Amino acid sequence: MLSRNRWLSALLLSFVAVLLVVGCGGGDDEGEDGGGGEAAADQTLKWGLGAEYVLDPGLATDTTSAKLVLNIFDPLVKLDDELNAVPSMADSWDVNGKKVVYHLKTGAKWSNGDPVTAKDYEYAWKRALSPELASDYSYQLYGIQGGVEYNECEKNCAALRDKVAVKATDDKTLEVTLTSTQPWFIQQSAHSVFLPVPQKAVEQFGERWTRPENIVTNGPFKVEAAQPSASITLVKDANWRDAANVKLERVEGRIIVDGTTAVQSFEAGEVDVLDEQLPAAETPRLKETPEYELYPGLGTTYYGFNVKENITDVNQRRAMSLAVDRQSIIDNITQANEKPADAFTPDGMPGREDVVAESSPWTPAAGDVEQAKEYMAKAKNAKKKITIYTNEGAPNKEVAEALQSMWKQIGIDSSIKILEWQQFLEFLGPPPPKAVDIYRLGWVGDFVDDINFLELWTCDSGNNNTGYCDKEYDALVAKAKQTPDNAERYSIYKELEEKLTGQEGALPFIPLWYITYPNLERESVKDTFKINLLDQVDLTQVEIKG
Amino acid sequence: MTAFIIRRLLWTIPVLLLVILLTFVLMRQIEGNPFRRTSRAVSPAVQQNLERKFNLDEPWYVQYALYVKGVFTFDLGPSLVTRDRTVNDIIKEHFPKSLELGLLAFVWAIALGIPMGVVAALRQNTAYDYTLMFISNVGYAVPSFLVATLLIYYVSLKAGLLPTNGWEGWKYKILPSFALGLLPMAYFARLVRGSMLETLQQDYVRTAKAKGLRRRRIVMVHVLRNSLIPAVTAMAPLLGFIITGTFVIEIIFSIPGIGRYFVTAISSRDYSVVMGITVLTSVIIILANLVVDILYGILDPRTRDART
Repeated sequence: MLSRNRWLSALLLSFVAVLLVVGCGGGDDEGEDGGGGEAAADQTLKWGLGAEYVLDPGLATDTTSAKLVLNIFDPLVKLDDELNAVPSMADSWDVNGKKVVYHLKTGAKWSNGDPVTAKDYEYAWKRALSPELASDYSYQLYGIQGGVEYNECEKNCAALRDKVAVKATDDKTLEVTLTSTQPWFIQQSAHSVFLPVPQKAVEQFGERWTRPENIVTNGPFKVEAAQPSASITLVKDANWRDAANVKLERVEGRIIVDGTTAVQSFEAGEVDVLDEQLPAAETPRLKETPEYELYPGLGTTYYGFNVKENITDVNQRRAMSLAVDRQSIIDNITQANEKPADAFTPDGMPGREDVVAESSPWTPAAGDVEQAKEYMAKAKNAKKKITIYTNEGAPNKEVAEALQSMWKQIGIDSSIKILEWQQFLEFLGPPPPKAVDIYRLGWVGDFVDDINFLELWTCDSGNNNTGYCDKEYDALVAKAKQTPDNAERYSIYKELEEKLTGQEGALPFIPLWYITYPNLERESVKDTFKINLLDQVDLTQVEIKG
Repeated sequence: MTAFIIRRLLWTIPVLLLVILLTFVLMRQIEGNPFRRTSRAVSPAVQQNLERKFNLDEPWYVQYALYVKGVFTFDLGPSLVTRDRTVNDIIKEHFPKSLELGLLAFVWAIALGIPMGVVAALRQNTAYDYTLMFISNVGYAVPSFLVATLLIYYVSLKAGLLPTNGWEGWKYKILPSFALGLLPMAYFARLVRGSMLETLQQDYVRTAKAKGLRRRRIVMVHVLRNSLIPAVTAMAPLLGFIITGTFVIEIIFSIPGIGRYFVTAISSRDYSVVMGITVLTSVIIILANLVVDILYGILDPRTRDART
């Protein structure tokens, strides 16, 4: 009896012990810091990536993939901190009206030893336009003559392919003819879809050419190993044309989708930098740590009105915009130090100081309830019972609730409907459904010209879910596209912005804030690891400090 | 028995066809566009190219037929979202990880759950019983995401004993498998305790006692074996579910398993991936149930006769 009891006790005790070990861990104090003082002999960057990646530049669509492909393939041009185009594989370029000529560096090699030539770029651009590849980003190349026609072709595609006006006239010259003068084209060609791809490998391995055993690259880093959905290891390509100036030897990327886990992994010293996947709830605490870094992004979050059918009176729209205390939403809900929006064109956009010379009168950062009430009183046929549509996801519901209470102060009763992301996008139109009075969305630029933002509000835009349609506005957009001179074009953008958010503007939406990218970065890399406005990272600049 | 197994295997075919049809219809009923991921609208030409590439421009019955053909030729097609991989690649790469995670969790569940149930039943209404059932209740009630987060916080972050996430070596596998195994462990403990108590009241147990058999033999041979039938019934489908992936645990511990992929595929409307993983899950659950039926026959010969 005694022995059985002892046996049972032992079992129970060992079980409790397991639970205790698991549950209590250690009571160590925080504060040991992995990074910092040690030697930087080991130039390995451990990077916690926020999403699955695709390594085919023609198929990469998300920002994590873009961050990787831009470092394993060599773009013709890169963007500097002010988003100006600077030489990369192209030494220089000439722009003459619709004609653009890139002059490539010589001597560069693919990771298999083949020379990199202008043909590789021609092949990649035509491939991205091909209907068979069905690239999501093919529209980025629509500015090239014959691009749309080839992308839309159903028959005679080979002939249309030959008509696409991008041609390698020799190994180091790439000639492009555009459909119109596009002053932004050079900067646009820094986008990942303009990266070259290795024709031989693509043709040999088909869709499997990006496997680590097949992939051929020509960027500063090459792929050593890759486990789908789990990790990727890049190593410096010693034969890259400018390898002498690349400090980093190795990048160990590990996919950590969950924000909380990512932060814990960072705090446990397993990764040196994250990929912006910080959970909003943790931001107030993380903000106080020296590893917190905040980057501005080229994007605007807004609430769009259904101007056609429901919120038809501009005075009601003005009132609703005036009633919003943006600063309070940023301080208390989103908490990532976003900048309150005072126009649609975001901060950081080239020429913004000309385009938004004055802030919109309808967007005071802290709101103006008294003025809002005055405008509400002026509104004829004001709709006082409205439905707010937003999608699932961290701060969206809370923001909608804050707006609900702000609009209550001016006599508007609102109810909130939350939809799943894909359903939400389908539901919004365009044209906007009658049920929607106001909806949340955001716009993030994918190349650096304001046309990328302002074009959104043309009558036929697939992204204009408000029903706002002004032929004059459309004519100005068309005119801007034909205006290569920056100053002249910016003055057109100014007119466009005024039509939207200016004193007499139609205000089809309420600009809320300009987005930011908060991140965690170990102090040893913080000075050199930078995320630019387009959410790109240039790993050639990164150096792990001792 | 063989006839029974063959009959059951043949039944799998209509069941699978129905599963494919239902999944197909349900996927199309929820709105969404697999080719649109951000607020940016997809241009009509791009949309058309994509639909053509993936046969989404065909009428629904053609698409259904293509899927069925794909399933029976083991070619589940390309992923609509992760464009450089096929569904076969995805299953081949990710399913083994979920399988391993599920099996490890199951080992925790059986190795701890069954002894817990046995001890609690044998020591009914004592401190052992109350403690074990308290632990089991907690294991049952606390959601796995909370257990997982607490484990990472205390074991990995504070104590620095194990890595916070990943799936690279044995060290990485302890926490996720324990977090996942906690609920089945609690479940088995309660189930075994209940059925043990019932079995202990049976006449044949009294007879065995009267015949003077040793208590250990009575418990191990007569009581436990018969008490395991409900646990086995629950075990197979449960095993089927946990080896086909668990979204929460895989997300929190960054495990590249199939469960994480499945949920992401649904929210991004990756039709072919959803279909492929559903078929895989169905096959496994069907097989798991078949195994239960066979195990029944072994544990309790009476059930064998009923179906011949």
